[in-house]
Amino acid sequence: MKTSSSYTTIAYLFMAPALILMGIFTFWPVGFNTYLAFHDYALVDGTATWNNFAHFKYIAGEELFHSAIKNSLLFLLVVPVIQLAALVVAKLVNSKLPGMTFFRASYYIPVITAVSIAAVVWSNVYKYDGMLNMILSWVGQALHLLKAGEMVEIQWIGDPHIAIFSVMGFVFWKGIGYYMVLYLAGLQAIPAEVEEAAVLDGANAWQRFWKITVPMVKPTILLCTLLSTIAAIKAFQEVVVLTRGQSDTYTALFYVYAQAFQNYNFGRAAAAGLVITFFCMILAIIQFRFFGEKK
Amino acid sequence: MKLKKMLAVGAVVFGFAALQAHADTELEFWTMNLAPKFNGYFDQATTKFNAANPGLKAKWVDMNWDQIQPKLVASIAAGNPPALVNFNVPWVHEFAAQGNLVALDQYLGAAKGNYSTNSLKDVTAGGKVFAFPWYNSVSVIAYNKDIFAKAGVKAAPTDFDQFISVGKQITAKTGLPAYAPKVGNFVGWFAYAGLPILENGKAVFNSPKHVAFVQKFADLYKAGVVPKDLFKVEFEQEIALYNAGKIAMMTTAPQALKRTETDAKAIYDKTGVAPFPLGAGKLAQGSWMMDFVVPKGVKDPAAAAKLGLFLTGDEQQVLFSKATETTFPSTKKGNLDPYFQAGKNSKDVVEQARAVAAGSMDGARTLVITPGQLPDEAALTKKLQDELQSAIEGRKPVKAALDEVVAAWNEKLAK
Repeated sequence: MKTSSSYTTIAYLFMAPALILMGIFTFWPVGFNTYLAFHDYALVDGTATWNNFAHFKYIAGEELFHSAIKNSLLFLLVVPVIQLAALVVAKLVNSKLPGMTFFRASYYIPVITAVSIAAVVWSNVYKYDGMLNMILSWVGQALHLLKAGEMVEIQWIGDPHIAIFSVMGFVFWKGIGYYMVLYLAGLQAIPAEVEEAAVLDGANAWQRFWKITVPMVKPTILLCTLLSTIAAIKAFQEVVVLTRGQSDTYTALFYVYAQAFQNYNFGRAAAAGLVITFFCMILAIIQFRFFGEKK
Repeated sequence: MKLKKMLAVGAVVFGFAALQAHADTELEFWTMNLAPKFNGYFDQATTKFNAANPGLKAKWVDMNWDQIQPKLVASIAAGNPPALVNFNVPWVHEFAAQGNLVALDQYLGAAKGNYSTNSLKDVTAGGKVFAFPWYNSVSVIAYNKDIFAKAGVKAAPTDFDQFISVGKQITAKTGLPAYAPKVGNFVGWFAYAGLPILENGKAVFNSPKHVAFVQKFADLYKAGVVPKDLFKVEFEQEIALYNAGKIAMMTTAPQALKRTETDAKAIYDKTGVAPFPLGAGKLAQGSWMMDFVVPKGVKDPAAAAKLGLFLTGDEQQVLFSKATETTFPSTKKGNLDPYFQAGKNSKDVVEQARAVAAGSMDGARTLVITPGQLPDEAALTKKLQDELQSAIEGRKPVKAALDEVVAAWNEKLAK
């Protein structure tokens, strides 16, 4: 006869391997980061001295950090767009037509493509004499909007006014497949009878999408929105490989990276990281309010 | 009895040998990212050094560049640092400022005169030399003879003003961008032009001379002499542009020509080479020197210095350059070696480039702003680069942009 306490012990034992790894690679770094944020950290001898919030005071007055936060928040624009698009695409590839596996795989390929390789391709798309401008030029010529021989020469990732949106385009392309797969799993959990009943009742596709699909994948929407919000705030890799922070695309995590590994000021980097975490948590709370289960 | 005697003799011999082995001072020297490609060179160097210096035993250890600093810090803390460590120039200044390096003046002696003046300047902090200058490189101009002919350009530019005017001529005649000089670290261009950056702890790069200099780049940009995405062009992109025949000149390290040789033979065959003209600052472009430092806490700094002098002497530096084929000695005589000079009359472009670059090595200076002079260097550099990009790409007047950066720099410098 097993007692409940031995059940608990066994449960913890099952969790132990994962918990130990998380402890070493997640909880301890988060804790140490928080500790560093309030200290001056000397790299050479590893000593940390309390500095009376000096790092927070510094970044509070730092224009570059403000613009970095602004850009990171601007990245949130990707979230609703990518969620809606991923849900629609998931709905499309969820139909039982021949060749659907091909489309599902195609949308997923960007997710498994290395970001550095994808960026090389996309910088050739976005170049002033790159693919995107070439296509626009063809269209412009065909519609007689451009003079013969005239080319569109927009610097998609060089012009500070549009560069960040171009990077978002890249993020969108890279991420849509990931959320599509999550939504696909959510959609397949919806019983077919519900949809059939709605059809019999005369609901059209639009109504079925908003009245059945969306409410029934709500938990998935919460998960995906949360994940993509965090990913947007954390935008860094995409920026490094596409623009190296030039043209007003410098994001908050880029600031953290530069402070830590260019200035070797780990304390200030930790403080900036903590501020970003704070923004992430506020957004997460808001989302739970919106999409979470009402108790 | 016999056995006992034999054992006793054996023990004495063994003890003596052990003592002898123990007496050898081991000199470990660390390099970054040179194994296994240059094992042959280092085997030769250590064998030669050990033979010439009984009692000393040099031992080569190679590691990835990002391991060097943490491992060194740990070994200094443990009281057991290696004899020599391969550093780049900024690290020399960082570690010297922390007091973690041995000053080398007393060990250099007369050998000090062997190194090029600029290479010594690069590793001097507070009037003391903190490293043995080692290998280095500089930029050359590689040009497409066909495009030059089409534009009616007879010879490569020999000074910076010609560099500008030749560029404009090429673009006016051919419609192609002439070149894509790297602007990723613009303070280097100020130093190249002999213009000051900091004076008495204040940023001073908004004088009329600075404005006029940056204006030259803005004019080049406007006229299409440089590609539209100039600020995105780095080493790889410049080679790609040149190899595709999209620019007339490549202003880069000589090893880039090896890539042209393998990737674009047709362009390579019509390539000429010329030195990159010295600017008003009498400096060559594109230098990034490597050196050896002696960490603090080394038990026998004199022996460590002996090894340092050996590895960075004329003979070993030339041998190392022969092994790499693309780097250059930091000693005066080293660059006069027939190996470099033979290329002058060679038909092979890589060999020509070698001779041309060796001729520019005296002007090679890596350092522009000593590390530690700027508070929050990452943010200040970013501000400078962003504003310069706006100015050069014509979104902002040059004067206004430089004024803004100088104000931002001085605000932080005053703190």
